[in-house]
Amino acid sequence: MPLDELRLMKNINEPGLAGIEVYERLGGYQALRKALTEMEPEEVLHELEESGLRGRGGAGFSMGKKASFIPKGTMDKYLCCNADESEPGTFKDRLLMQKNPHRLIEGIVIGAIAAGANKAFIYIRGEYELQAEILDRAVAEAYERGYLGDRILDSEHSVSLVVHRGAGAYICGEETGLLDSLEGKRGNPRLKPPFPANQGLYQGPTLINNVETLCNVPLIVENGAEWFKSVGTEKSSGTKIVSVSGNVRRPGNYEIELGMRSGDIVYGLAGGPPEGRRVKCWFPGGSSAPVLLEEDLELAYDFETMAEAGSMLGSGSLIVVDDSVPIVSLALRLAEFYRHESCGKCTPCREGTNWTVKMLERIDHGEATPADLDVMADVQTNIIGNCLCVLGDSMAMPVGSMIEKFRDEFEAHIEEARRRNGGLPLAAHGGRADEAVGSPAA
Amino acid sequence: MPRPEQRFVTFEIDGREVSAPQGAMLVDAAKYGDVEIPVFCYEPKLGQPVGACRMCLVEIEGIPKLQTACSTAVKDGMVVITTSDQVKAAQNAVVEFLLINHPLDCPVCDKGGECPLQDISFGWGAGRSRYIEPKRHFKKPIELSPLVAIDRERCILCYRCVRFSQEVAEDYQLVFLERADHTYVGTHDGHPYVGPFSGNIVELCPVGALTSTAYRFRARPWDIEGSGSVCTLCPSQCNVELTVRDDKKVLRVLARDNVEVDDGWLCDKGRFGYQAFHAAERVLEPMIREGGGLRPVSWERAMAEAVNGLDRADEGTAAIVGGEATNEEGFLLQFLMREVLGSPHLDSRIGGPIDAETARLLARPDLTAAVSDIDHAGAVLVLGTELVDEAPILDLRVRKAVRRSGVPLVVATSRPSSLDPNADAVVRYAPGSEEALIGALIAELGGGPAEDPRPARPGRASMREAPELRKLRPDGDSGDLARLAGAEEDDLRAAAGLLRGAGPVVILWGERVSRGDRGRQAVAALLALTRVLDVNSGGGSGMIEIPTGSNGRGLREVGCLPNLKAGLVDADVAGHWAAQIAQNLGHDLSGLILFQADPLRTHPDRGAWERALDRATFVLAFADFLDESVSRFANVVFPAEAYPEKEGTVTHPDGRVQRVRQAIGRPGSVRAQTSLLLELITALSGAPFDLTPAQVTRLMTDTIPFYRGLTLDEIGGRGVRWQDRDAAGQLPQTPLPEIRLGTPPERPKGMLLGTAPSLWAGRETQHAASLRFLAPRQRAELSADDARKLGVAPGDEIEVSVNGTTVRARAALRSGVPAGAVFLIEGTSEDNATLLTNGAVRAVKVRRA
Repeated sequence: MPLDELRLMKNINEPGLAGIEVYERLGGYQALRKALTEMEPEEVLHELEESGLRGRGGAGFSMGKKASFIPKGTMDKYLCCNADESEPGTFKDRLLMQKNPHRLIEGIVIGAIAAGANKAFIYIRGEYELQAEILDRAVAEAYERGYLGDRILDSEHSVSLVVHRGAGAYICGEETGLLDSLEGKRGNPRLKPPFPANQGLYQGPTLINNVETLCNVPLIVENGAEWFKSVGTEKSSGTKIVSVSGNVRRPGNYEIELGMRSGDIVYGLAGGPPEGRRVKCWFPGGSSAPVLLEEDLELAYDFETMAEAGSMLGSGSLIVVDDSVPIVSLALRLAEFYRHESCGKCTPCREGTNWTVKMLERIDHGEATPADLDVMADVQTNIIGNCLCVLGDSMAMPVGSMIEKFRDEFEAHIEEARRRNGGLPLAAHGGRADEAVGSPAA
Repeated sequence: MPRPEQRFVTFEIDGREVSAPQGAMLVDAAKYGDVEIPVFCYEPKLGQPVGACRMCLVEIEGIPKLQTACSTAVKDGMVVITTSDQVKAAQNAVVEFLLINHPLDCPVCDKGGECPLQDISFGWGAGRSRYIEPKRHFKKPIELSPLVAIDRERCILCYRCVRFSQEVAEDYQLVFLERADHTYVGTHDGHPYVGPFSGNIVELCPVGALTSTAYRFRARPWDIEGSGSVCTLCPSQCNVELTVRDDKKVLRVLARDNVEVDDGWLCDKGRFGYQAFHAAERVLEPMIREGGGLRPVSWERAMAEAVNGLDRADEGTAAIVGGEATNEEGFLLQFLMREVLGSPHLDSRIGGPIDAETARLLARPDLTAAVSDIDHAGAVLVLGTELVDEAPILDLRVRKAVRRSGVPLVVATSRPSSLDPNADAVVRYAPGSEEALIGALIAELGGGPAEDPRPARPGRASMREAPELRKLRPDGDSGDLARLAGAEEDDLRAAAGLLRGAGPVVILWGERVSRGDRGRQAVAALLALTRVLDVNSGGGSGMIEIPTGSNGRGLREVGCLPNLKAGLVDADVAGHWAAQIAQNLGHDLSGLILFQADPLRTHPDRGAWERALDRATFVLAFADFLDESVSRFANVVFPAEAYPEKEGTVTHPDGRVQRVRQAIGRPGSVRAQTSLLLELITALSGAPFDLTPAQVTRLMTDTIPFYRGLTLDEIGGRGVRWQDRDAAGQLPQTPLPEIRLGTPPERPKGMLLGTAPSLWAGRETQHAASLRFLAPRQRAELSADDARKLGVAPGDEIEVSVNGTTVRARAALRSGVPAGAVFLIEGTSEDNATLLTNGAVRAVKVRRA
C-alpha cells in the first residue's frame, strides 16, 4: 500500500524548505521545543525505544536501544550522523539533506540531548558537495536561532554541530572507519569491541546514526511512539524511504510503509522494467544484499521478511536488474566496486575481493572452466564472517548468491566466451573440468 | 599507578581446563594450556591488538561468529575451540588468502627457514592453493632506508612495522599508502625511514618484506647460531642475541626480550654497530711505538714493553677506564693500580668528582628504581639527560609509560628533549644550572604554596604540614632560584603540581648533572629532592642515574673511582680525578693506561688532554681501534676485545648485574683483557695470578660486600638486581643526611655553552659501514631570537669560541632552546665540543664564520 500521508517526505517539494523560515513555518523545531520543555531526556529515549525505530543505514539496530547504551557521566560524549551514503543504489539521505536539512539538524539535537551527547558531527560523503553546502547554511541558521550551541533555547543543554566532508571512501560509511576518518586518520574500521557507544570518537562514548534514522526522531517526539508504530509491521515499524533504481521506468525515492509487497514497489511505484523485459533479480537493500528473484517480489518489504528470504533490507535501496543484463557483468561490476573500496586492513577482504575480480574477469574473457565457479563460491564462503568489518561480506554475499542462483548462466557464459575466443568446447579437452584448475601457482 | 595484580581464571580450550591470567588475550591464555593459536599481526608490545590478519580466529561457545583470539580477553568459564572444522576452514582460508599474492621465493628469501609465514603455512594451511591468477607486482627490493630494504611483494600488510613507527618509536614516519590490494607500506613523502629505532621493524616483520641491508644474503638460517649476550654500546645494556656464523663472525644482532631491561627493542646503534667488530681498521695485533709510528709486534715483546713501562712509572701511573669495560676488567685494573702499582689515580667518570658518601647514598637500594618501575610510576621526572641519545631504550620505555599507562611526565633539561611532546610539563633552564633548577623545584614543592588548589591526599601529609621538609628549603625563594636557573616559574609550578602527591616518582637523571664545579651541590640538591618527593619510600619509586659510560655504574661499584675501592669503600688514599690526571701527567704522573678509552674524544678540555698525553712518558692502551689518543700517543697497544669476544659481567644503571657472554672467537692476536691484566699483575707483583674468568668474577663478588655470593649461574640470562638480594644489606648504609642547600652562584654573562651527547657521534658510527651515513657533523643549536640577534640563518657556518679556541659548526635553529644558550654535540670526530669545555659553565662567543 502506498502511504495515505507522507511522513519523511511530507512537504519535501515545498519551495524554500531548506531555509529555516519555511521549515519553522511548517512546524519545524517544535519537536525540539517539546523535547526540551515538556520531556526529560529519559522520556525522549523511552519514546524512541517504544517506537521500534530501527536504524535506516543498513544494520537495522533499534535506535533507542543504541542511544541507551551511551554511559552516563560528565565526559564529552558525541553524536555522529553518518551521512556517508555510499552504498550503490542508495540516495535517500541525499534527498533528505538537500531538501529538508533542518529536519536532520533537529533530529540530531534531540538525539544528542536524549543520549547526553554535547558534540555532534555530520560526516557527509565528499561527493555530496551541494548537500554539504546546504547543510553548512542550515547549521549556521540553526546556530543563529539558538537551536544549536550553548544553552539551546535557554535550556541547560548544549550541543555543537560540525559538518565534516569525507574524501570519497566507501569504507568511511562503516561506523568505526568513519570515526577514524573524522579523527583525521586513515579511514580504517576498528576492531569491535570496544563499541563506539563506549569508546568511539576520541575514545569517548559515541552514538552513530544514519540520516534517515535521525530525521524520524522529531516526528516521533512530536507525534509519539504509538503514531509511529501505527504503520509498518510489528518488528519493522514506521515508514521507509526506498531508493528504487536499475531497470525500472520510474526510478527514484519512494516513502513506503514497511511491510508493503515488494512487487508493488517495483511495479506499482517504480513502473517495473521496460516494455518486454522481465525482472531477472533484484537487490532489496543496496548492492551488498544477496539478490532475490522475480518470484520473491511477492514478499513483504520489511527487515524480517527480507532476512528470512536470505537477504536483507539494508539501507532500503531496491536495485532492479532485468533480463537484458548478463549476470557475469553484474557480478564483475559489483566485485570491482568492493575491491576498489576495500581498505586493505584485513586479509580475507583485501585478498578475497581482489581474487574474486580476477576470477570473474577470466570467466568473462572465456578463460575459465565451470570448476572456477566452485573455487569462486568457496572464496566467497571463506570471506563471509571472517573479516574485520562487513565490507568483505558485502561483496561475498551478493556474488555468492548470484553463483548459487544463476549457476547455469555462468556456465553458459563460460562456454560461449570460450567459443567466441576461438577456444575449443570443454569436452574437447577430454578431461573433467576440475582438472583444469589446481595448478600449483601459489 | 600500582603494578596490576595478577588473578587467574579458569577456562576450557580444546576440551581441557586451563588456568590463565585474567584479562589475557586468548592467544596468550591458550599458551597456558599448551595450545598455539597462530598470529601475524598480534604483538602485544605494539599496543592494542588490531585484528587485521584474521589468522587467530577461534570458536567461542555461545558466539555464532568466529572471534579473533588476539583481541578477545579470556573470561572465567569461557569455552574455546581451536580445532573445529569451522576454525580449520577459516585458518586454511586466511593462509590461502595471504599466500595468493606472496611470492613463493622462499629459497632465495632471507627469511626462509625462520619465517612465521612459512611456519604457519605448514602448520595451519591446507598445503595447496587454487590461485592461478597473476600475482601483484611492485618494484623490488627498494631501500626503505640505507639500513632497511623493503620487498613489497612479500609484505602481508600485518601492520606491525607501521604500528611500531606510530605507537612505539612515535616517529610517525611509516604509514599505509593506497588501499585494498594496492596497499603498501611507505613513508608519507617517500623519504627514507630513518630514526634511532628503525631496525626493529626488520625483526618485527613476520615475512621477508623488511630485511636488513647489512644482513641480506649473508647467511641462511642453517649457517648460523644464536648466542645470547648484553650489548655494551650504551648504558641501556639491552639483552641481545648475536647471530654468529662459524664461531667467527657476528652477522646480525637481534633483541633478546627482557622486560626488565629493554622490552625487546634495540636501537640502531646496537643493532647495526656490530659491523665495527669486523671492520678492517680494527686493531688485531699488539703494537709498540717505534720511530714515531705504531708497528705490530709479538705478544712477548708488547707485554715486556708494557711491564717495563708500568714498572718504571709505578705509583706515578694513572688510568682512564672507558665505559665499555666489564666489571671484571675494571676490578682487575683497579687491583693492578692500587695493590700492585700503588697508585690510586684511576677514573671511569668523565665529568669530575663525586663524593664517596654521595656515591653510597645514590647506590642505596631504596633510592634506586628498576627499569620496569617506569611503567607503573605515579610520575616520571627526566632530569638533565637526553634519553634517546644516552640510553635510547629508556626513551622508548618512558614513551610507553606515557602512552599506555598515562604516566605523567616532567622533562627538565636545558636542551630541548625529544620527549617534550610527550611531557605534561617541560622545564627549560640555562646550561649547567641544575643546582639552582633543582633548588627551585624543591622550593616550589616544599614551600607548599598557600594557593595550592589541590586537596591534600588522605594519608599523605601535605608539604605545608611537614616541618622537617622545610629544612630542605634552599636559601632564597623559588622565584629567586628560578631566576638563577634561567627557568620559568610557571613551568616549575606546573612540574611541581604534577610531581606533588603523584604516587611513586621515578627520576631518570643524567650523570652529567653531577659534572662541573657545582656538580657536588647539584647532586646534594637532587638528594634533597628525593626526600621531598618520598623517592626513598619504596613501592616503585626511585632514581636511575644515566651514566656516560655503558657500564658506569658497575665500574663505580668495582672500584674504578679514585676515592672508592671495590664495594664503594673509601680508598685508603684518594687519587686524582680525570681532569687532575690530565693536569698532573708529566709532573707527579708519568705513565697512563688507557683502558678502551679515548679522552681526546670523550673528555672535557681536549686541549688539556692533548698536552697531558704529550707529556706522559709511557702510555699503554687497550684499544680496538686506533682512536686519536691511541694513534698519536700510545707507546704500547694491546688489541682490545669487542663485547662479543668478552666474558664477564656489567651492571645496569638500575643495579641489574648482567652477563656478557663470549659469542665469537677473538680475531687475530686479540687476547682476553682479563688475562692480560692478570699477566700484568703477575709480572709486576711477582706473585702468580692465574685465574679463569669465572674465578675472576668470584674474586670480585667476594670482595664487594653487596655482590657477595652472586654467581654466574644466579645471574643467568636475565640478570639479577643486586638490590633485590639479601647481600644488598652489606652496602655501607648511612642515613639520608640533613641537607641544607646553599645559594647557587649567578650565571656567567653572555651566551652559555651547553653540550649534548649524540647517539651517532661515536666510534660505532664511524667503523660500522651501514651506520656511517648517520655520523653527525657539528651543529650549533640556537634559539630563533638569538640567531636573529647574531644575524645567523639556519645552515650558516658559525664559529663558537672561548678564549681563542674555536669550534666550527652549522647553525640549527631549534624551538625550545632557551635564549642565551648554544648547544654543541660531544664526541664528533671533528669540531668536537670538548675543545670548549672544562667542566665549568662557560660563556662563549658566537659569530658567523
